Amino acid sequence: MADLIFYIFAAFTAGSALAVVLTKNTVAAALALLLCLVGVAGIFVLLDAFLLAALMVFVYAGAVVALFLFIVMLLDVQGGVRKPFKKATIVSSVFAFILLLLGLASFAHKGVQTTGDLGAAAPVGATLKSYGEQLFTTYLLPVQIVGFLLLIAMLGVIVLSKKFEGLEDIK
Amino acid sequence: MPHLDILKAAASSNQWMAIYPELLLGSLALVLLALEIILPKKQHAVIPSVAIIGQIGVLIWLAFNFHTVFLKPEHAYTFSGLLHHSEVGQFMRVFFLLASILVCVLGTIALAKQKMPRIEFFHIVLVVSAAMMLLAQSNNFILLFVALETVTVGFYILVSYFRTNPLSLEAGLKYLIMGALSSGLLLFGIVLLYGVAGNPTLPGSSANPMDFTALHTFLLANPNNFLASIGIVLVLSGVAFKIGAVPFQIWIPDVYQGAPTPVTAFLAVASKAAGFSLLLILTQNVFTPYEKLTTPVLAIMAAATILFGNLAALTQHNVKRLIGLSGVSHAGYLLIGVVAAGSQPLAIGAIYFYLFAYLLASFAVFGVMTHVAGGDDADQDLAHYSDLAKTHPFLGAVLAIGLGSLAGIPPLAGFMGKLLIFVAAFKAGLHVLLVVAIVGVVISIYYYFGWIKAAFFETWRAPLLEGETDLRPMCTPVGIMAGVALAMLALATVVLGCYQGAFGDWLLALKF
Repeated sequence: MADLIFYIFAAFTAGSALAVVLTKNTVAAALALLLCLVGVAGIFVLLDAFLLAALMVFVYAGAVVALFLFIVMLLDVQGGVRKPFKKATIVSSVFAFILLLLGLASFAHKGVQTTGDLGAAAPVGATLKSYGEQLFTTYLLPVQIVGFLLLIAMLGVIVLSKKFEGLEDIK
Repeated sequence: MPHLDILKAAASSNQWMAIYPELLLGSLALVLLALEIILPKKQHAVIPSVAIIGQIGVLIWLAFNFHTVFLKPEHAYTFSGLLHHSEVGQFMRVFFLLASILVCVLGTIALAKQKMPRIEFFHIVLVVSAAMMLLAQSNNFILLFVALETVTVGFYILVSYFRTNPLSLEAGLKYLIMGALSSGLLLFGIVLLYGVAGNPTLPGSSANPMDFTALHTFLLANPNNFLASIGIVLVLSGVAFKIGAVPFQIWIPDVYQGAPTPVTAFLAVASKAAGFSLLLILTQNVFTPYEKLTTPVLAIMAAATILFGNLAALTQHNVKRLIGLSGVSHAGYLLIGVVAAGSQPLAIGAIYFYLFAYLLASFAVFGVMTHVAGGDDADQDLAHYSDLAKTHPFLGAVLAIGLGSLAGIPPLAGFMGKLLIFVAAFKAGLHVLLVVAIVGVVISIYYYFGWIKAAFFETWRAPLLEGETDLRPMCTPVGIMAGVALAMLALATVVLGCYQGAFGDWLLALKF
């Protein structure tokens, strides 16, 4: 039963991911991305990672995709005409596709893992409490570094997009 | 209160004193932003000097406390095993600090030619260098990834910093897309390794497979695991993107050309060195049981990288593209060192010596480039260098020493670096790679000397008609700080080529 549900979610996720790439309408692409993220959240639920599933829906589906939609609708981008593919592109993508299939086949053939009962192992970070505890004890340093990462990302947005009018005075 | 005990136990392993250089750099970066708010606009010119002097202070403190208590084996792992402190790590700290000081010096010159916000540049450079220092000491994939992303995000901004120039923006976009792809490869590799090493039915599995020590134990117990091999190859590919090794070098010429010259220097030297210190940690400490897999992969990459870099650099006229592609070939020589390090511990020291010589020579060349560059930073042609030696003898001499060292001409430091790597490769029996490398060096002499020729020998130019002005950019006069920095770089290149002394002995004895 769990297997069946997994396959349904996996097909749903992969299908909506394909739709993101193939659709010409940007709003439709953003909505397909939303569905894709919900599918991923469903797979997390199957893995008992409820926290991750909730975060996925809140942060990505809720905030990030909503932002995408805002920007897409503000810019009002029309789905342009796609250029026809060059011959070289087609040949190389067929070649890459065959390589990808071979890779997947080798995964299916050689990469099979047998695991015992994973339910017996103590889940790490599955609940909010243990997750928070790890975050603020063992992984405190990475959390601090991420703080700096977000700071420079914010500065970067300002530097790259703000209108600078008073620059003459600085000189 | 059991929770309090847990917190106390974890806090005792978070020894913040172990990373004081990184903390100081981070605080200095915040101080710069605060100064920008506090100081009146007329005094903003002092802020870059605060950044440079502050870093020199950190460097001096680091040099005087080089042998910290954290180098002892019982204290070497801090932050619950996230960090591993070693002499190699200390060396890389000094390396990144030097690079970031020099980038700040070049940054003050380059930013003076543009109408750009200044302070954010120095802030981001400081944060990126601190992240690189942590990267070179990481012992856990989580910390590795977080530090690497900080470095990469910082570079996305720095590369597109001259946003009024479309080439800079294009370079930023290209770097963003390629960087995201490489991060994706790296993450997929990490996830595969994490999943397979966390499988409780396999021998040597661990509850914390992100830890390098635990992963190494697992790989030792399972020397032929298929998924682990794929994970290793993907992780190595992600790192190969950062060092610009073939087949992951496509982003190099465009990004190097479009990025502001100081950022190009930062990318060429510090980012590459960070990639190599990561590669050495991974191949020497973690992936050793899979040497049969990693050695041939890296060896083929090394040969392809040397040949591609040198042949592609031959036809370039834009000096930034030229130095970018020649940097690809330097990554190839260093990769030979990584391959040789498997059997010859001498190669590890040789790689660090090479990186240090590369730092000195590259910053000498980039320093001259920053002075020669005009308002359009991406347009730096070989023709702009004609008569440089006559009009600016100091810059000409520094350029000649830097390029000579990059080409590997004795008695400069670059020659010793190449020699040490080649000796290690010879001892390790890598004869084919040696032949490829020597062919590469011979090719490289052609384009490096073409550049020197442009600067030193008379070339015919159409005489200027009446009313026509020379379109070539004016050379910035050399300031005191930049002059001292360039003179010291050139001097160190010459001295280190003739006499390595205790520094060389110490480097060559470095081990993981």
